[in-house]
Formats: sequence, C-alpha cells, structure tokens
Amino acid sequence: MATVSLKSIKKSFDSTQVLFDINLDIEDKEFIVFVGPSGCGKTTLLRIIAGLEEATNGEIEIDGIEVSDAHPIERGISMVFQSYALYPHLNVFENIAFPLRVAKLPKAEIENLVMRAAETLQLTDRLNFKPGQLSGGQRQRVAIGRSIVRQPKVFLFDEPLSNLDAALRGEMRVELAKLHKSLDATMIYVTHDQVEAMTMADRIVVLSEGKVEQFGTPMELYHRPSTKFVAGFIGHPKMNFLKVPHLSSSSKGVSVELPEIGEQLLPVETKAENSGDELEIGIRPEDLILSKTAKGLPMKVEVLERLGGSTLVYGSVSLNQNFCALLQGDALVSEGETIKLVASPSSFHVFDSNGDAMKRQEVPEVMS
Amino acid sequence: MTVISKNSKSSSKWREFLRSRTLFAWLLITPAALFMFLIVGWPLLETIRLSFTNAGLGGEQYIGWDNYEKLLNNRKYPGIVGRTFYWMFLSVLLKMIIGTIGALLLNAKIRGKAAFRVMVMPPWIVPMAIGCIGWLWLYNGHFGILAGVLMRLGIIDGPFEFLAYKSSAFYSAVVTDVWIGTPMISIFILAAMQSVPDDLYEAAYVDGASRWYRFRRITIPQIMPVIVTMSLLSAIWTFNSFEVIWILTEGGPLGATTTMIIDTYKMAIANYKFGYGATRALMVVLSLAVFSLLYLILLNKINERYKTK
Repeated sequence: MATVSLKSIKKSFDSTQVLFDINLDIEDKEFIVFVGPSGCGKTTLLRIIAGLEEATNGEIEIDGIEVSDAHPIERGISMVFQSYALYPHLNVFENIAFPLRVAKLPKAEIENLVMRAAETLQLTDRLNFKPGQLSGGQRQRVAIGRSIVRQPKVFLFDEPLSNLDAALRGEMRVELAKLHKSLDATMIYVTHDQVEAMTMADRIVVLSEGKVEQFGTPMELYHRPSTKFVAGFIGHPKMNFLKVPHLSSSSKGVSVELPEIGEQLLPVETKAENSGDELEIGIRPEDLILSKTAKGLPMKVEVLERLGGSTLVYGSVSLNQNFCALLQGDALVSEGETIKLVASPSSFHVFDSNGDAMKRQEVPEVMS
Repeated sequence: MTVISKNSKSSSKWREFLRSRTLFAWLLITPAALFMFLIVGWPLLETIRLSFTNAGLGGEQYIGWDNYEKLLNNRKYPGIVGRTFYWMFLSVLLKMIIGTIGALLLNAKIRGKAAFRVMVMPPWIVPMAIGCIGWLWLYNGHFGILAGVLMRLGIIDGPFEFLAYKSSAFYSAVVTDVWIGTPMISIFILAAMQSVPDDLYEAAYVDGASRWYRFRRITIPQIMPVIVTMSLLSAIWTFNSFEVIWILTEGGPLGATTTMIIDTYKMAIANYKFGYGATRALMVVLSLAVFSLLYLILLNKINERYKTK
C-alpha cells in the first residue's frame, strides 16, 4: 500500500541531538523493525514518522508524497502505543470505533467495520467490556483493533509487546506476523528485543545513539553484521569478542594469533585501512564446539546452564570474563574445569579498531 | 466435658480477640469519636432540643411544634429557601465553569506555568474577610473602581452603588463568592487533568481527533469523578456561605441577599430568638441532607457510566 522514505532526518531536543541524519527507504508492504538499546532514538524516529514529533531537519515521504508537515491522518498512518493508550472509560467497541467516530462515519458502517476488526482479533465476546476488565493480551488486541479499523497505509507499533509476559509475547509475535500477511500493509515496529526483530522483520534497522548502524534482513544482520555493535546486539546468547594480535593480511584474509591455538587465517576481505597491530574477533556461542584434540581456545568454566537440548557454558577466555559457548545438551563439561573450544575459521567475525566489520568471505546459504 | 472445654476455649479466645484487636481499635478511635460527638453531635442534638422551645433572653419553655408551624406559615420563608438554592446553583455553576477553563489554561504547556499556578491562588489564600472588604471598595459607588470604569465608559451616568439595589446586590455577592471559590476548584481539576495519561491524547490525535473532540471525549470523562465530587463539596460550602454575604450586605438590601444561613443567624443571634433560630438551622441541615442524598444518587450513576472496570 505504501512506501516510506526518510531523508536526512535529524532531531534535537533543546541542545541534545538524538537523531543524526537518518536515511531509510522502506518498501511497500514491508515489515520493518527498529531495534536498539533504550535511548537510541528508535521511539523518537517512530514518533516523527507518526507526526507526533517534528523533525528538526529532513523530509518524510509516504507513497512518494512529502508529508513532513502533515497531520497523522493525512499521512495515512495509525499507531499502537506501548501502553496501548486505550480509553479507560469507553468499552472495547467504542475504543475500536473511536477513529471512525472521529471521521464521522455512518453508524451502520462503524458497526460493520468494528465487528470485522473484532472478528479478526477474536474480541467479539469482549465488546462490552471496559479495558480495565481485560487481560494484557486482550488490551493489546483492542489497541491493534483500533489501529486497523481505519485501514491506514502504514502501521506504527511502539514496543507493543513489552508489557506482556514471555509466553504471551511469543503468541502475539505469531499473531502480528499473521496480521501483517492478512493486512498487506507496511508496518514499522519498534522494539528493544532483538528476538522480536529477528522473528518478525522483513528488514531490520539497528539504531545506536541516534544513528543507523545497519539496515538489512535478519540473516544479513546475523551473518554479516557491519559493526561490532550490530554483531553484539543481534543473536542470543551474545557474540563473544576477543582482542588478538594482528599478524598479517592478504587477499585470503587476516592472520591473527589466537590464545593457545597460535596463528590462524580468518577468511575476510581486507582493506588497506584495516591494518593495525590489534584486531578484535567475534565468535558466536553457537559456532563453538568442544575440541577433540588438546588444541583450542582455553575456557575456564564458571557457570553451566543445562537446558536439556543444549548447554550454555559461561566462563573466561583470555581477557574476556564473559565468554559464552552453546554446546550440546550432553556435553561433558563441569564447573571449574578448563575446556578447549574450536570453531571453523569461516565462522569468525573480524573487527578493526573502529569497530567496523571486515566482510566475511564465506557465509551460509540461507543468506540468499 | 469436651463441649464445656470447647466453650471455655472459644470464650477465652473471644476474650483474647477483644483484647488484641477490636477493643484496641475502639480505644484508638474513641478520642476522635468523643471529640466529633462534642463538636458535631452534641450541638446538633442541642439544636433539635432548642427548636422545640421558645428559648430567648427571657429563658426557655417547651412549646412543641409551634416553631415549625410558625415557620411553615411564614410567607417570606419559601422565598428565602428559593433564593438560597438559586444562590448555590448559580455560584457553583460559575465556579465549575470558570474553574475548568482556568484549569485548562493552567495545564497548557507554556513557560512559567508554575508561576501562573501560584498566581491564581490569592483569592483563596487571602483571609476571606480581607478579600470581601476589598470587594466592598470595588463595589463602592463613589470611590469604587467598577463604578468609576463604567462611568468613564459611559455605561452609567452617575455613581452606582452595586450593593444598594436588590437586583445588583445579589449578583455582586455571587461574583465575589465565585472569585473566592474558583481557585480551589481550578487546582483540583488541574490535578485531575494532569493525571490523564498523555498517550491517550496522542492516540486520539493520531486518529484525527480535534482539540475540542479530545477535550470532550477524553478530558471531560476522565475528570468527571473529580468534577462531580468537587461540585458537591462546593455546593455545600456555598449553601452555607456566610462571611461573603454578611460582610458585603448583611443580607440586605430588603433581604435581597438573605440566604437560609443568613436568615438563621439574624433570627437566632441578632434577634435573640434562639428557639425559632434553631428551627431554621434545622431546615438548613434538612435541605442540605436531602440535596446531598439526591446528589450522591446522581454521583453513583455518573460513576457507573464513567467507571473503568
């Protein structure tokens, strides 16, 4: 239904700049997730798209039309708030009908549209309830109902699942994904939870300190994080980082010295500016396996979390005190011992001193 | 044997319970209850007793329902009752409307709003007598600023004593009473407005609701319980408002500002007819009780409508 494009959006509150030159092109019917730690500006960016906040600088286009100064209604957006923002004195029917009443639609049509939304969201038996009588998940659905009755071009969600418990969050993730398919609309969704981002998004915008760190599909972000920040933010458990001496660079990759393993060639594309005495390598916990030989990264195991199907091992490797490895459920490991870990050279990520990633030469098929 | 032992056990338990909780609770509220009885209950009972006597400066005698009969046959009294309710309705209505508008203005997101919030308080903070004396001067025909301004504007030809005429005195008193009573209403309504979450307004804004629509369908319903409660309190205070009228007009001219409370005072204190005055005082109590009862029924209905659960 609509494309959204942001052109050099900047935003300052008084003297504090919170958004720096944001440029994004969002395709029609895409599910876009803004993700980042709290205070990164993701909600502010969403509110600017909604028209609740004015950008200090830059332009917003929806469907190719400049809407920077337009009212939310003219932009054709609707928004679901983190707190749901349901009107406590109105029942579910009236809450969903609110935008239609504002638009002064005829009674019969309002009834028709509200009933249709209520059916989609399984709220038909709750229409006479007040929000205070509903469970968290039901309130969430009412808020979504209110945003879909108007049939907007772009849906905006501001951390809609953060007030729900973990089990319900999982359910609502699936429901939202289904909703996106059935509505065929462009959706922009803000969250600080990278799991939500990975599971729902067509493309993810990773924000940090008011800047776009990376914009890409979940698998791109996972396999080819462009910065150390993205690498650390996407994926659970978090990627492990180690500072290692840089030995040499060639077209085949960089050679680094790994603790107790010695010289290791990591297949990444190098650039002239990537030279330096020290590099930072990143390795995901799930890429690590127990070494079958005596050679491997030595890890002093401090805590074990046995989840049945897998085992999470926490401890320290070299100077990194928060190293984590995801091993098999029956891995022969015990707390206090030192284990040897290895990983395929192609699974390593390499970052230069600026935190920029060197492009990995070999990544799994799922990328394409 | 077992039955007896059980009984004695439960009675000792009962005693223990009394000692530990209920009795302690009673002990705690007794001083306050005694105090309340002394300053509210006893005078009320005494007033009821007095209303059946001809108490005055020359002693008192039980005269049965005579005072009530006399009051019901008094041709002026219905006028006083009517005027009191009119006084109350007009004054409370104005206080609520101006108070709500004031609260809206004070709630605006502007620089120095804290200063404005303080600046509306003086009418309420200044001792009522001093405020009223100020108004006496404002209303003065020869030296008052109101008459002066109206004269310069050519609206009146000569000095106009606002408090000297039946029609103008009543409304002048209403204005002063509203001036005193509005700030507190404003502050209470402001507090209620501030408790309305911002995102409700944002959600409505995103859905295209105009300012007026948001006020009508979000602000008003959200502050309704406070409006209703405040208007009941304000109604009772206004009904019993004595100082304003007494300082401005002493109930005159020709009884134009005599409300039930002024009337009671005149009868009981100024004319030393304590018994007959007590009868009139009981009428005030009765009127307010009936009014409050009706109002509370309405309050329940409104709360039912705007309840959130």
